Order: sequence, then C-alpha cells, then structure tokens
Amino acid sequence: MSGQTRTVRLPIAERVLEANDEIAAGVRVELARRSIFAIDLIGAPGSGKTALLETTLRALSGRRRPAVLVGDLATRRDGDRLARWCDRVIQISTGEGCHLEAGQVRLALGQVDLEGVDLLFIENVGNLICPVGFDLGQTAKVGLFSLTEGDDKAAKHPYLVTAADLLLLNKIDLAPYLSFDRAAFEADVHLLNPHVPILEVSATTGAGLEAWLAWLDRGVARARGASAT
Amino acid sequence: MRRVHEFSIAEALLAQVLRHAPTGAQVREVEIRVGALRGIEPEALQMSWEAVTHETAVAGCTLKMDLQPWTITCPECGRSWTSPIPFVDCTCGNTAPAPVGGDELDLVSMTVDEEET
Repeated sequence: MSGQTRTVRLPIAERVLEANDEIAAGVRVELARRSIFAIDLIGAPGSGKTALLETTLRALSGRRRPAVLVGDLATRRDGDRLARWCDRVIQISTGEGCHLEAGQVRLALGQVDLEGVDLLFIENVGNLICPVGFDLGQTAKVGLFSLTEGDDKAAKHPYLVTAADLLLLNKIDLAPYLSFDRAAFEADVHLLNPHVPILEVSATTGAGLEAWLAWLDRGVARARGASAT
Repeated sequence: MRRVHEFSIAEALLAQVLRHAPTGAQVREVEIRVGALRGIEPEALQMSWEAVTHETAVAGCTLKMDLQPWTITCPECGRSWTSPIPFVDCTCGNTAPAPVGGDELDLVSMTVDEEET
C-alpha cells in the first residue's frame, strides 16, 4: 500500500565542481611534493599561447627542465610545434570540450617523466571563459591577451582577470599598427584586480621576454622553497 | 558545435544531484547559486540541464538559478550598490567605480517528493 507523498526541501550547500576541485587538490599536492611550479596558461584562440611557449621553451633550454601539457580540440599541431623545443610534451585532445579539467591533467601527468622537472606549462584550450572556473591543480594562472584582440578584452572577461596571478599582453611589436589603448586596458584590469602584474611581450620578436622569464624564475624558486620547508 | 562550459557544469550538477537524491524520492527542483564572475549564460545552462537530465531519474526536474549580481563600490563618494554588469558609472560622476563579483557555484538545495511512511 502506498502512502501519500510530501514535498521536502533538502539544503545541500556544496560546490558544483567539487569532484573536479578534489582531483585538482590531489594534483597540487603531488606537484608541490615534486617542487614543480605549474602554470595554467589561458588565452583566446590566436592570442599566441603556443607561440609564447615556443619562444619561452627555447629561451629556457639549458636553464630549466620544463614539461608541457597542451590541450587542443582535435589536432596534434600545438604538441608537435612544442616538441621541437621540449622533450616532455603531452598532448591532451579535448574533443568537443572547451576547457581542460583536473582529471585530464592528472591522467596526462601520469604519462610524462616528471623526474627533475621544475616547471610545468599547461596550455589550456583557446578560450577566455570556460577554462577559468576549472581548477587544474596549478600553482599560478596566467592570462594571455594580445593587442590584436582589442583593448576591451579584459573588461569583457572579468573572471580571468580576477583569477589571474599574472597577465601577459602579447604581440606588443604590433603596437605601432594598432589602435590598442594600453592605458584603458590597464585601467580595466586594475579595477577588477588591483594587484595583478601586467607584462608586455612579443612571442615573435622576444620583446619583454626577460621580465616573463624572471617571473618564472621567481615562481620556480618559491616552489622549491615551499617544498623544502 | 563546440561544447559550452555550461554543459560541463550541468553534467557535474547532475552527478551531484543523483548522489544526494534520497532513494525512491522524486527530485522536483534543484537550486543553485552562481556568482557574477562565473559568466554563466542562464539560457545555455537551462538548455544544457534539460539535455543532460533527459531520460535520467531526474528528467523534468526544474533548475532554479540564483544569479548573484556585481557589487559596485565608488571610492569617490563611498556609495555601494549591486549591478548585473561590472562596468558602470556612479551617480556622483565617477566613471570608474570598482566592481567585485563572487565566484561561487553552489548546489544550494534540492526539493524532492518523498513517500510518507
């Protein structure tokens, strides 16, 4: 015999992405144990993520032992480009996914020899919105904007701007040909995130690269110091 | 078509709802709270929710979204108010008051029909 039904509201109060966040926390612990400074690089398609990493890896050769995880929708092109400069590159094919998730990072890290690695670049899928909310276990989030995207891109993507530990403004060599208002871009950024540094770079000419490499060096030193204590 | 991030969120939410649903209860409504920073498109999330719940135990369950606004604070006059968009002018004439948004994305509650015993 079936009784009457009653309607009950059950309070839950739990993060929706808790499952992802838990995996990310595990990845973070493992990376910290290995003293690896891990960067989640987020930028729009065509902002120059792969080009920046190519230039960076070339400059770091002999100086750091980097590894790269690269998320791409369907091709291996980015991975192949980066493999010329680094022998520890893992391509993550995301299929239809518009961002990387912590489970994919954990899986990919199992496929790369992390012995001696001090710096990990995770090139996210080209997208300024979706990747930001998914913790990957990174040490730092780096947002990459470029001059060709227009000076209002930061204002239109507040989550990335507030979540980023560093913003890079790429294609600075094109400044003479574009009407990009750097002061307006910077003002928008600092309204949303008063403390985030902005470094201007050109992945093509190498302009501004030293400041970016110095920032990476400081991150590596911090990761090393943190695990020593 | 490329998958929107609302779809991944809907998938994660479904798994979470199924995990929390009491055995034998029919889930009628799921309530989430979304911070302004999340940049969720309500229509996209609604469509994704219908798609992922289709032919599951919670098909037809309503998704209630509590979208949190931005808090705008004007450093010139000290006024503070809420706004659906982050970049707005203050009534005092300041064109650059500071926007602050939350990044919460929480399952707040589930409303279920239970058999009375």
